[in-house]
Amino acid sequence: MAATRQAPGGAILLAALALPGLAGAENAPEQASISLKYLDYQDRQPNLERVGVHSPSLELVLPVAGRWALRGALVSDLISGASPRYHTAVSGASRFSEKRNAADLSLTRYFARASATLAAGRSKETDYDSRFVSTQATVSSADNNTTWLFGAGVANDRIDPVNRAVKDEHKRTLDLMLGVTQVLGTRDIGQLVLGHVRGRGYFSNPYKFVDTRPRTHDQNSALLRWNHHFSASGATGRLSYRYTTDSYALRSHTVQQEYVRPLKGGWTLTPSLRLYTQSAARFYFDPVYDTRFGAPFPPGFSFAARRDLSADQRLAAYGALTAGLKVEKQLGRDTTLDFKWEQYWQRAGWRLFGSGSPGLERFSARSIQAGVTHRW
Amino acid sequence: MRSPLLAAGIALALAACAMPAPVQPWEKGMLAKPAMSFEQDRLEAKYAEHIYSSKEGAAGGAGVGGGGCGCN
Repeated sequence: MAATRQAPGGAILLAALALPGLAGAENAPEQASISLKYLDYQDRQPNLERVGVHSPSLELVLPVAGRWALRGALVSDLISGASPRYHTAVSGASRFSEKRNAADLSLTRYFARASATLAAGRSKETDYDSRFVSTQATVSSADNNTTWLFGAGVANDRIDPVNRAVKDEHKRTLDLMLGVTQVLGTRDIGQLVLGHVRGRGYFSNPYKFVDTRPRTHDQNSALLRWNHHFSASGATGRLSYRYTTDSYALRSHTVQQEYVRPLKGGWTLTPSLRLYTQSAARFYFDPVYDTRFGAPFPPGFSFAARRDLSADQRLAAYGALTAGLKVEKQLGRDTTLDFKWEQYWQRAGWRLFGSGSPGLERFSARSIQAGVTHRW
Repeated sequence: MRSPLLAAGIALALAACAMPAPVQPWEKGMLAKPAMSFEQDRLEAKYAEHIYSSKEGAAGGAGVGGGGCGCN
């Protein structure tokens, strides 16, 4: 329970002995809530609408006995369009229509200065079935200015492509996370999260030509976040930087900035900007093809010798920019409406710290989200 | 990976050493505002993670768990 104290300035301030924002999950929710959201997504290349997604989702949060919280979420993706078979070549690729259903459930126990969470979930498509379990814990210092985060999760994915390129393949991943959240001042909170993902199994793309990837994929990440409150405007600046590197030799940098600006009448505007850049995976090959076999086979390709190769644009070197705007409207005390628009652009020439991969088509995507949350 | 992680660790250690006097409970009113939380709209975060992991080579970094997808 929060206490109050008369500050020297005369204003009564909340003595937030345990802050909801400090580590994200160490306070039990006081109200139950239900959220509904809908996503409309479409990506494009020049003169081509590629993949479209319609995705409704639902989340329920239930506080239990003041010390527990049960969270559950459902999402369904209706996906249709055409993906490139190699590099940016879509011609010849069959159009597809697919549905993905996913559900997850978590249970959190809250203690005086700690929390423990168990979670499990499943995501199912016609050709891909993924299950995971995870656990997470937070422990705060006596003054609640420092919170340590610990997390571990395992996922087991089964891959059965409809083209029978492979059958009953598996992929297993282990997620580990260590983080610390630190109060930096009366208006600043910082966080550092280190992550390690260890993957074993089938990582190739069965629907692309010439796509053979290593059966091990490990990734390390470092995420730095800093939130700052502007007293004069009541706004919040949210800045984050993520660095990743993996066993494919793919390195990425991501910088994201959000500015949460409350307005009169219960409105909140949040413009956002995200910059992303990545190097190419060591086995990604540029669109230069063998003179004997032609596209999509790289120079010197041999059907007899197996080596790691991929022409997947997502493993190329490029940069990307996302601009977004979120509008929220508070209706009474317990209901919030939200709407978010985002536009994403990807260009090889925008890669930072090196040159981009040659021969890639420009790529862009637009997403629109609309949602409602009600608490009781 | 080692050098950026080392740099991040050193930066955090330096920040901790340079930390001013601990913030007292009655000084945390602004920090308690929902916008200051690192955990925001979970459904929105799931959409973002799914969208970016389907078109970029890197993914994750903010938590553990969450199943994979075909996303071809």
